[in-house]
Amino acid sequence: MQYTLVIGGRTRRVHLERQGDAFRVTVDQQAFDVHAAEVDGRALSLLVGSTAAQGEGRSVPAVVVPGRMPGELQVAVHGRTLPVQLVPDERSRRRGGGPGDATGPQRIIAPMPGKVVRVLVAPGDEVQPKQGLVVVEAMKMENELRAARAGRVVSVSVVEGQSVDAGAVLAVVE
Amino acid sequence: MSLVPVTKVLIANRGEIAVRVIRACRDMGIATVAVFSDCDRAARHVRMADEAYPIGPNPPRESYLKIDTLIAVAKASGADAVHPGYGFLAENEDFSRACRDAGLTFIGPSPEAIELMGSKTAARQAAIAAGVPVVPGTATPLGAEVSDADVLEIARGVGYPLMLKAVAGGGGKGMRVVATPEELPGALRAARSEAGSAFGDSAVYVERRIMRPRHIEVQLLADHHGTVVPFVERECSIQRRHQKVIEESPSLAVSPELRRRITSAAASVARQVGYTNAGTIECLLDEDGAFYFLEMNTRLQVEHPVTEQVSGVDLVQWQIRIARGEPLTIDPEAALTPKAHAIECRIYAEDPDNNFLPSPGRIVKLQAPQGPGVRDDSGATEGLEVPIFYDPMISKLITWGDDRPQALARMRRALREYEVHGIRTTIPFFTWALDDPDFVAGRFDTSFIDRKLAERAGVPFDQPSADDETAAAVTAALHLVLRAPAVTTAPAAAPESRWRQQARAEALR
Repeated sequence: MQYTLVIGGRTRRVHLERQGDAFRVTVDQQAFDVHAAEVDGRALSLLVGSTAAQGEGRSVPAVVVPGRMPGELQVAVHGRTLPVQLVPDERSRRRGGGPGDATGPQRIIAPMPGKVVRVLVAPGDEVQPKQGLVVVEAMKMENELRAARAGRVVSVSVVEGQSVDAGAVLAVVE
Repeated sequence: MSLVPVTKVLIANRGEIAVRVIRACRDMGIATVAVFSDCDRAARHVRMADEAYPIGPNPPRESYLKIDTLIAVAKASGADAVHPGYGFLAENEDFSRACRDAGLTFIGPSPEAIELMGSKTAARQAAIAAGVPVVPGTATPLGAEVSDADVLEIARGVGYPLMLKAVAGGGGKGMRVVATPEELPGALRAARSEAGSAFGDSAVYVERRIMRPRHIEVQLLADHHGTVVPFVERECSIQRRHQKVIEESPSLAVSPELRRRITSAAASVARQVGYTNAGTIECLLDEDGAFYFLEMNTRLQVEHPVTEQVSGVDLVQWQIRIARGEPLTIDPEAALTPKAHAIECRIYAEDPDNNFLPSPGRIVKLQAPQGPGVRDDSGATEGLEVPIFYDPMISKLITWGDDRPQALARMRRALREYEVHGIRTTIPFFTWALDDPDFVAGRFDTSFIDRKLAERAGVPFDQPSADDETAAAVTAALHLVLRAPAVTTAPAAAPESRWRQQARAEALR
């Protein structure tokens, strides 16, 4: 797995190798052995050790929330928040539309706490821009969450009747 | 003695102070009625109250400031008392009077006291009558009919540098510093025009400018039986553009002997005007230890928890007990003996790295600090928006300890623990201020923060190190792996999803 990220004006290439919850993460030339545990979909606990065998080490509490721009994440480490811009790889760039297009997978996110009343798509479905994907009810209002642009549904993470928190990922379209 | 019944309280406010009043009522077994504007439908104070009623659209003028609507809701809900909180209608004598006329107990001072102390010049005269020193200056309002020449003559008697202040003022509006007679006519025009548009009253008054003053204030409680109890002073010199941002108690600049004098002066002013309920006398303390009456706030103040942690007294409960007609039973000696050192940071939804501009938006994650010596008075809720219509304060973080170093250490710890995501807050600003050597040593006056901010010259508060950037890169990548093809929460599909996720990850390599 390989990601290109822009942080603080600098482009960083991050490479990951996975073994269960343990990862070897290489940022540019620097390698880290990291054990990652999810807390609630936004919060992560990272234990950064020098070797995989140690399995534990420096504790890094982290929180990741979607940024205001497409492809942007707000990443907080040690209480400091940094905007991280995801740069799409060559494949997705070729698949995408014009240069003004937003990039990266579209994460369909619950804007407020509510209940999923309808799931309108299944993984594998091709969707058009503005096509409805999931309907969430909150404060007695039904909100249809739609695709921002064309793509293929790669996952749907909720079922009808399920309660979701604000910020929960409901589906992903690539 | 027969007491006035207070069994159900309407809280004519929102945010953290509405929550604070609801808590006091619940502790006393009193029912609570919340009110809300459209955008506050699901706000914390609404969810916490026993009952809640809509009072109109989001702009305060159409909801939280509508006296007739609030009185109607109070009557319809069967409330027998009203707590105004602070801000909004808390210092509006018409509201206090409307409550009284409707047979509702107003949990606060009388309309007469609010009106009297609301006029800065009348308040000065009351202080003079009580034998309390005031900053040298004019005792009467200088309206538009007073000529520049007359004001110049008055100014010569007061001495330069001087301040022009709005009679109806507050919050630094209609205020000008004048260093020389040449500057006076222009400053007078500006101050009058600002006062006129902010308060509907363009009258100003002249006060000598106290150099390098500290802002010291005295919280007091006064019952309906003539008892006035002042508390250990609060130090509120840490202000940004005339707005308090950090408060603490006791003050490093106040000796026990000065405490006696300043608190007994404060009590004299309250007695002079027949004040009842909770109020605060604000003073300036100059470099030589002389103090001057500044003004009286006829309400519960934002920073009241600082006094609560130092004294162990629940001020809001006492406000209700005083309104019922109960006599104060607080030992006055104990009220003047600090039991702890306490400090408060007002956490705002403002971006300190963008000139403290408001940063409204959705709070996507919120985790308040906990542990020994920490109190978080907040009205915010995870998942909800911070509305753009009201004061952007989201929380008051209070810490206390046996002494100032312990209180400060706990504040640093609590600020570090505080997690607010989705909006910007002033937490990084406080982290910086609490580490400033002059702040730690107690060397400051009311210009401290503005001076220190100017010295910073825009260096960002949130300055991530190279290690932070690398950690963020690691975190973002792990988040994308763990979340981007979202982890399916439907149990049956989970194994397939994991498998597919792995397969796709491989395909992307």
